[in-house]
Amino acid sequence: MSLSRFHRFKDLARQENVVFYYTGFFSQSIVAAMGDSLRLRLNSLEASQPLRRKLFSIFVEMAQNIVHYSADALTARDSNDNEVRMGSLWVGEENGHFYVVCANPIGSDNVARIRDKLEPLRSMSNDEIKALYKEKLRAEDEDTSKGAGLGFLTVARDSSNPIEFDFVAEDGAHGPFTTFYLKATI
Amino acid sequence: MQNLYIAATSSTPEVDFRFDSHQLSLRGESYPENAHAFFGPIMDAVQAYLPKLHATTVTLDIQLAYFNSSSTKVLLELFGLFNKAAVAGNYVHLNWHYIEDDETILEFGEEVADDYTALDFHPCAMVG
Repeated sequence: MSLSRFHRFKDLARQENVVFYYTGFFSQSIVAAMGDSLRLRLNSLEASQPLRRKLFSIFVEMAQNIVHYSADALTARDSNDNEVRMGSLWVGEENGHFYVVCANPIGSDNVARIRDKLEPLRSMSNDEIKALYKEKLRAEDEDTSKGAGLGFLTVARDSSNPIEFDFVAEDGAHGPFTTFYLKATI
Repeated sequence: MQNLYIAATSSTPEVDFRFDSHQLSLRGESYPENAHAFFGPIMDAVQAYLPKLHATTVTLDIQLAYFNSSSTKVLLELFGLFNKAAVAGNYVHLNWHYIEDDETILEFGEEVADDYTALDFHPCAMVG
């Protein structure tokens, strides 16, 4: 990349009001360092403490979702500790609202399961989301979950607009895969 | 039994459990990669401590500015242990510190109080 292309890239990020962008490997220590950086950026912006906490919460749930579930892993698929996985995450500002988007590859066989979890959340009211959250908080952990199975619900709870998501089929060096996108606006 | 102290990191809270004076506190933020791995030894220590109590007053100071979803679930289990001890005849004072206008943190405290009615719940608002 020549420096003029780098300048265009940086300029586009500025035009799009990108607060923070990262693509690469995610591990817990990278998430914590990104969290520190994001917090410094948020402290310099005019945002209330609860709004900053909500944005931080969405960021952590999305970033840890990549650490635990991205299909592109350096570590063993069934590991629970010191996991390292590939993904992207960005935080931006649009029409006076902050948003967080994450993207990571998933196995195409997981598309239906994730869609079934997310689609109902889009049409639920805040109160309905909170009620479901409270119910799941006391439920037994799901077999497929490494955390509490509350990650997507927490993202939906902390976002002020319905969450948006997409699945994009792509061809990789090792065959076809699907990129999963999730966006939350605060 | 030995007191338990774990210094805070950017993703785990300070744990200061003074079992000898029955003053236990958690302060900071909690978003470890694996909440069960972090809280496991803490739960073990609490499970060893509580059965020894008889009509004891225990003060819990919880001042967590942020906790992720998996920590939330483990925290609920932790408070469940204290509720059991309160039902068994001890007095558990839960001071729930939260930043004044942060509803999410307060609401979780209220959830804990709703579920575990034997705990003496005191919300303590802090100016943000």
